[in-house]
Amino acid sequence: MIANLIVGGLAAGCLYAMVAIAIVIVLNITDIANFAQGEMAMLATFFAYWLMDGLGLSWWQAVSIAIIFGLVQGIVIQQVVIRPLIGGPVLSAIIATLGLNVVLNSVAGMIWGHQTYTFPSPFAFSAPFVVAAVPVAVDSVVNIAVGFVIIIAMTLFLRFTWTGLGLRAASQNQTVARLMGVSITRTSAIAWGLGGLVGAVAGVLVAPSLFLDTNLMSALLIKAFAGGVLGGLNSLIGVFLGCLALGVAENLAGAYVSPSFADAITFIVIIAVLTIRPEGVFGRVRIRKA
Amino acid sequence: MSFAADIIRASRPRTLWSWSAAMIGLCFLLAGAAPLGVNGYGLYLLTLTGIFALVALGLNFLTGYAGQISLCHASFFGVGAYATAILTQKAGWPYLLSLFAGALFTTAIGAIVAVPALRLRNIYLAIATLGFGVVLQKIIFEWRSLTGGGGGLALTAPSIAGYELGANGLYYLTLILMTAGLFGAWNVSRGRTGRALLVIKDSEIAAGSLGIHSARYKIVAFAISAFYAAVAGGLFAYLVRYINPESFSAGLSISFLSMVVIGGLGTIGGSILGAAFYVIVPELLRGIKDAPGLIFGLLLVVVMVFMPQGLWGMLRRLGRRPLR
Repeated sequence: MIANLIVGGLAAGCLYAMVAIAIVIVLNITDIANFAQGEMAMLATFFAYWLMDGLGLSWWQAVSIAIIFGLVQGIVIQQVVIRPLIGGPVLSAIIATLGLNVVLNSVAGMIWGHQTYTFPSPFAFSAPFVVAAVPVAVDSVVNIAVGFVIIIAMTLFLRFTWTGLGLRAASQNQTVARLMGVSITRTSAIAWGLGGLVGAVAGVLVAPSLFLDTNLMSALLIKAFAGGVLGGLNSLIGVFLGCLALGVAENLAGAYVSPSFADAITFIVIIAVLTIRPEGVFGRVRIRKA
Repeated sequence: MSFAADIIRASRPRTLWSWSAAMIGLCFLLAGAAPLGVNGYGLYLLTLTGIFALVALGLNFLTGYAGQISLCHASFFGVGAYATAILTQKAGWPYLLSLFAGALFTTAIGAIVAVPALRLRNIYLAIATLGFGVVLQKIIFEWRSLTGGGGGLALTAPSIAGYELGANGLYYLTLILMTAGLFGAWNVSRGRTGRALLVIKDSEIAAGSLGIHSARYKIVAFAISAFYAAVAGGLFAYLVRYINPESFSAGLSISFLSMVVIGGLGTIGGSILGAAFYVIVPELLRGIKDAPGLIFGLLLVVVMVFMPQGLWGMLRRLGRRPLR
């Protein structure tokens, strides 16, 4: 019983983690919490659906194009909306992304309406793995594996490439980074592009487990932020583990404490964590200078 | 020690004083005479504007002055609505008394929410307040014996001193309370608290070194804005006569935020303008399901990118009045 609950929680948690990773890539490099990340991913997922359903492309073709769409989408949004706000108060950028969230949702609603679609998955009919008599859905295993691959790839990219070094420099101190010849607008564009790309990956992986509609991401976005805050928003692996922990905690609280209060309990835990350790469980403390 | 807030008093140009007094007088005259000129639905929209303006005035303290984001104002609004409704319907208190008691109760909740929020900024504050919103909404939903749960609560017309409050009565009550709220907001924002909050917004460290107790002022800002939201909630409950926990979601909190931002952060006129805008635009675009969302989202973005002073700032610039 408890093993089933934990596996189910991990399955939900890895959905949160996919979205959270996309958010954290942007947040760490540009200091902007992107509340539109979920809707950006939703739009990319709908695009993939349209490629498959409208143009008859195969799953892999459609998903590859949608991921590139996600990358371009991120860069375009950065250039149009975020670039003018660089250097201004962080609150302005957060509010702008909240607005963007509503815009993208309405745009998707105008194009695709508010009915639900079923997004196919190449793993849907595979038999589940059985680990110690507990069935584990292939989807969940794929999600967790892809999450790890993204984290490892991002870590390698940030550690061992010149561009990655520039991104890390910009995230530490924009003024000094600029003095060293790092273009802030360019690093910001790269971060948003990467965020859009990872978001699109998250979207196509999440959509088969849920139903595809314009509100696909709204619940996930909140959970992703919550899990991220729990783990500590400045550590990729912390965010990943935080989201998995959130999924498990939700499932256990739902089963053993009160099914109707599962959401509320997770938020109470998060508020408690924020009160005691505002930087999250795995986060590093940043010293505020201004 | 804490005279700093007095020292940094911002000077205001006193030009065109009589002109603006005349404008304000005209606005009140129009507002007072409005029930004669509009139909029932128009009156409903006007009352709704007044109610949202109250919330926006309160949120403006927190976001516009103190620079603190809140995504739980819909819950303050909801708690105010439920507290007022329950005290009036179930405990049999007079409407005005329960409105006030409900607002005080919500103010206390606002101050409690502020305590963990003191250590948090920006995104972390947004998440924590979002969490409080979810928890409060859930409590309302699950406390079925008191709140009616998901089935909601249907209300009968309120009465003040034996006189039953119809649509006109509620409109005038809203107008009176909004005027009082406006006057209060105007005074607080010009006073020591308003100036202290402005410094906290710019830099908490600078505020601390000027002797401004930023923790205390932030709690005050949260409490005041919860009070405004709760009074508005108490009016709203009796405007729509049916309340349900679903109405007080995070989406409504974002709407409140958008009113303040579109109207103009840190300006009192902007809060009212933003609320009016929020009520009127969907009416103009009725029939196109996604259009209001699109317009509001776009405006939030455009306002942030191109006119951080909001609609009010733009109007003042058009009126060739110096920006504060």
